[in-house]
Amino acid sequence: MSNQKLAEYVTLVSSDGFEFNLLRSAACLAGTIKKALDPKSGFREGEQNRVHFETINGVVLEKVCEYLYYSQKFAESKDVPDMDIPPALCLELLIAADYLDV
Amino acid sequence: MAAERTRKRKRDQEDAIAKIKKGKQTKKKDTKKKKQGSDDEDDEYDDLMDMYKKKKPLPGQLDFCELCNKRFTVTPYSKSGPEGGLICTPCGKEMAKDAKAQQKANKPVVRKARRKIESNRLDGATMRGAKTLQQLCIEKIAKHADDVEEFGDLPDPIMKRLSEIFSKKRAMKPNTMKLFLQPHLDTVAIEEAAYLETEDFDQIFAIVPNIKKLSLRNCCQFKDSTMDYMIEKAKQLTEVQLLGANLVCNDKWIDFFIARGPQLKALKLEWLDAAFDDQAVQALAEFCPHLERLKLERCKRIGVESIDAIARMQHLQHLTLRFCTEIPQERLINMITSVGANLRTLCLENFLDGQNEEPVDFVIEAIHNNCHHLSKLRFTENHECSDASYVSLFSDWNNPPLRYIDLNSTRDLDNVNPDGPDDYPIGLGSAGFTALMKHSASRLEYLDVSSCRHISHETFTSIFDGTKQYPNLREIQLSFCPVVDTQIVATIFRSCPNIKKVVTFGCFEVKDVVVPRGIVLIGAPRAQDQIEQYGDLVLDFQREALGELEKAMMVAAGA
Repeated sequence: MSNQKLAEYVTLVSSDGFEFNLLRSAACLAGTIKKALDPKSGFREGEQNRVHFETINGVVLEKVCEYLYYSQKFAESKDVPDMDIPPALCLELLIAADYLDV
Repeated sequence: MAAERTRKRKRDQEDAIAKIKKGKQTKKKDTKKKKQGSDDEDDEYDDLMDMYKKKKPLPGQLDFCELCNKRFTVTPYSKSGPEGGLICTPCGKEMAKDAKAQQKANKPVVRKARRKIESNRLDGATMRGAKTLQQLCIEKIAKHADDVEEFGDLPDPIMKRLSEIFSKKRAMKPNTMKLFLQPHLDTVAIEEAAYLETEDFDQIFAIVPNIKKLSLRNCCQFKDSTMDYMIEKAKQLTEVQLLGANLVCNDKWIDFFIARGPQLKALKLEWLDAAFDDQAVQALAEFCPHLERLKLERCKRIGVESIDAIARMQHLQHLTLRFCTEIPQERLINMITSVGANLRTLCLENFLDGQNEEPVDFVIEAIHNNCHHLSKLRFTENHECSDASYVSLFSDWNNPPLRYIDLNSTRDLDNVNPDGPDDYPIGLGSAGFTALMKHSASRLEYLDVSSCRHISHETFTSIFDGTKQYPNLREIQLSFCPVVDTQIVATIFRSCPNIKKVVTFGCFEVKDVVVPRGIVLIGAPRAQDQIEQYGDLVLDFQREALGELEKAMMVAAGA
């Protein structure tokens, strides 16, 4: 399959320069990231396996990554326990989640 | 002499008690042994061995504990240890505790918050896997509603969702409501406004003067003064939905229609019982000529004259009515004749003529003759129209296939004859349902035939035969259709590749259905533990589809 060409891990970069390496399969749970990395879209992100987020800071992006792995872990199970989100982060995270389509 | 006798009696008594206690213990041991060894030979062997064993001390004597080797006094309550010897009281207690814990662990665990989980499912919040991050955040925010100071610039759909969730959690109080009022908005929608006071409603128009669309449900404190303020401030208002605004008097409704008349595009009013009568509807027809969307449900004081007034609204595209009085069918037919041509949506709930003994089918005939642009039709709770009328409605109807059909509870009502009259079927029956599917199946997304009791099993099996495909059908309601059984539900899964939800409350023949992945079956009455059945399995016909999809992807990747 064509997956051989694709790197297993991708890098997400926050607005303040923090880099997060995570599994491509987890990252692609977010619709926006999936589209950006899709080789068919032909974006530079797809070639470099690296997505830069100008509007999301490191703290929020870390939580997003945590969510992506959490979501991947529980993808097939029922009655999933809710992930803990610090209330102070909620609004920013919500905006990021809306942007990322997760 | 007497003293000696009592002493003797006492001694006899003690002996007897000791004997009884001893007997009890051996009996206990016997039963225990029987449980352990199933073979009789084993028992005999054990009995033989018992003879060589050291005799167990009687109550009152001393022995060494089998577990901790401490010396203790044997009592009738002393328990025997795992090896068969006696154990001391502390060790016995410990053992009892362990046994209890073991018992508890063996009991099936009752899931906590089960009701909550079920509620989430019915809301469609959790189908499978984790909630979306947005959902998690919104729930968290709603939980901490009191601490939030300002939302800032949130996208509109999220604001709407937040408002809905606040409403659902009964968190829409005067302080939290202000979070949803921002000057740049053009929509304010509050699903549950029961906690809000008159001043809070005034705030809406003070802070959001450019409001175009207002939707308030359970707005009990929406008063005449609020209406005045709305007329004065909200000059751009084009869509209004109010549920339960009972403190607004008739004249104020009319004032509002006069003030916003030509620009008003949509009006939805529900549950009004104190005011809003025929006069108000007449004023609406007169002063709001551009009304496109009208919904009047459960407004108790309107009747036939309102139907006549609605007949004069020439620009209506969406019409939903549910009256509390019986309407003679001539008036209803007159209304459909005059406004039907432009309608996209027509919902007539519980419209009964009440005058005629014979079935009256002319309303449905009027729909057939006048409506040619419908995409959504709801005609429910009717026991007057015959099956033949539904056949004629859907046969040669000059109307594109419908997207949404709800004909629930169109059936005969006669306790003595539950199957309805044989010669003249009442309500949507087999023939009507067949005609319906023939007309609309290609585009149909939502179908509700709940309580249409007269549709036969053969009709269901011939429509859903597993080979005919209904590509757009996403939801189907079959509750209280007694003939629906496991086979029909199973073939529905096969006939409708995009089906998401099948509802079968009260269909007692639905048992042990294998629900395919991605589909929810609600209301299977024989379901042992859950009302909803979520599909886990990828069935063979789904596998084929998946296989094709994979092939297509490989081809695409190769190219």
